[in-house]
Amino acid sequence: MTISTPPAGPRPVTRPRRRRGLIFTGLAAYLVTFLIVLPILWVTVLSLQPSDTILSDPFSIKTLTFDNYRNAVASLPLLQMYKNTLIVALASVTIGAIVSFMASYALTRMVFRHPTARSSLRFYFLAGLAVPVYVLLFPIYRIDLALGIFGTYAALILPYIAVSIPFNTLLLTGFLREFPKELEEAAIIDGAGLFRICWSVVLPTMRPVIATILIFNVVYVFNEFPFVSILINNPDLATVSLAVSKFQGQYTVDYGGMMAAATLVLLPQLVIYAVFQRHVIAGLTAGAVKG
Amino acid sequence: MVWVSSRWKIALMLAPALALFTAFFVYPVGYAIAYSFTNSAGFGGAKFVGIDNYTALLDDPFFWQSLRNTVVILVVSLVILIPSSFALALLLRRRIAFAGGLRALVFGPAIIAPILVGLMWVFILDPKIGLLNRLLEPLGVGPIQWIGGNSLTPYSVSLVFVWSSIGFAMTIFYAGLQLVPNDVIEAAKLDGATSWQQLRHVTIPMMRETFAIVTVLLITNVFKIFELVYMLTGGGPVHRSETLVSYMYFVTFTNQRYGSGMAIAVVIFVLGALTSLAYLAAARRRSLA
Repeated sequence: MTISTPPAGPRPVTRPRRRRGLIFTGLAAYLVTFLIVLPILWVTVLSLQPSDTILSDPFSIKTLTFDNYRNAVASLPLLQMYKNTLIVALASVTIGAIVSFMASYALTRMVFRHPTARSSLRFYFLAGLAVPVYVLLFPIYRIDLALGIFGTYAALILPYIAVSIPFNTLLLTGFLREFPKELEEAAIIDGAGLFRICWSVVLPTMRPVIATILIFNVVYVFNEFPFVSILINNPDLATVSLAVSKFQGQYTVDYGGMMAAATLVLLPQLVIYAVFQRHVIAGLTAGAVKG
Repeated sequence: MVWVSSRWKIALMLAPALALFTAFFVYPVGYAIAYSFTNSAGFGGAKFVGIDNYTALLDDPFFWQSLRNTVVILVVSLVILIPSSFALALLLRRRIAFAGGLRALVFGPAIIAPILVGLMWVFILDPKIGLLNRLLEPLGVGPIQWIGGNSLTPYSVSLVFVWSSIGFAMTIFYAGLQLVPNDVIEAAKLDGATSWQQLRHVTIPMMRETFAIVTVLLITNVFKIFELVYMLTGGGPVHRSETLVSYMYFVTFTNQRYGSGMAIAVVIFVLGALTSLAYLAAARRRSLA
């Protein structure tokens, strides 16, 4: 057990008792983490077992095989699933971020004739934070039908944008309120218009907030199930979540195939998470930590 | 900023968000509330029936069952999650090799799609093929109906929810711990406080708002549990493991009793709005502190 770098400043001499305590806490931390990761490992173990012995002997290491993956890749429209999810995510997250930025900019930086209009509009958007999205499912199903977009990408993209606006507005107005006036004024004196101010002066300073918003929303769209389960009935347009929900029916008793398919979905998520973990954790807890 | 703030420019900046948010968020909420007062079903027109849908809910045993299950999940999850995620934050704050990596691993389940979490746990909780019963078998514990039986499912759903949320809660506690000023702890140490006393009388009281925020966030998330039930039992057998949200989904989309479904949705809305208000109050108090 190695001990990471000690903090600066004087530090009491390590006594044997203290060191034992550290080893104990270290072991406890590793054990708890192992228990939390265990379900993921279990899925991976199952996915490597041949279907006929998976139930009788799931812990066997002698029979490990990649057959399940071959079957899963053959039976699963992986590329199609990811393409659908990416199209929906890119469209809804980008448009959502742009329209939220425009509104938040107007609500914080522009001069309203009636100041109450500004604060009540901001409240109008933020009130959405208090609404569980389940309330919207059926009405949006009806609206999509009425607009003739039911079962298309747009059926998902439009509600995803709407659902992202309250959180985006919360973070963006929070940031924009603190933005230094002097920078904008200097830009105006240089003859910049509204678009130039937003694009070349304000936006470049907002990278961390924008990153948070993008990550939060992309994770939401990738994991979203209730909307997609109702608004998409064409399997060719299924997103990753919708496809996963069909695994139990699709593979019925082919547990190895099911677990291989699950792993094929899980793995890319975990790899992306491993690469961006700092940003992802910051993004997903932003609402809670910054209030 | 008066120069660029002509009336039409403000309108232009606000219009897209306002249009999308009104059409796909505010209008649907109104639509749901209006529908909860009608007898709308799979076909035919909708007729205004006053509060009939709400009074019918009072006589609906499945509604009460799903409310009871939601409360069970809420209580069990909070009782386990709050202390354990706080303890985990304290633990992973110690000087341990790769503590950062451990924190990332613990947070991991929070990014997995709930629908996939549900599927994974079928293979742990299933009475016949699940890992849990397989591990208990050599100990002489007979097969336990973790899911799909008459009573245990809500507890199993709590367990899965705890698994997927513990890293999230731990991370917020961890961030809250960083905000506790070091000199206060040092002062307590100089006064001879044991580490338990420091925790009990200094750290925890100073983190009251963080506890409030985690609690309210978890409550809001419990009210959103749907995919887990959908994958683990589908609400069955005979709606015994339904939560409010999954029962609303069933009534609305499987049964196509839209009026009743929207009445349940309004109940969920009121509960969700109340907890969110509590959250905003807690968050505001913290930012003033």
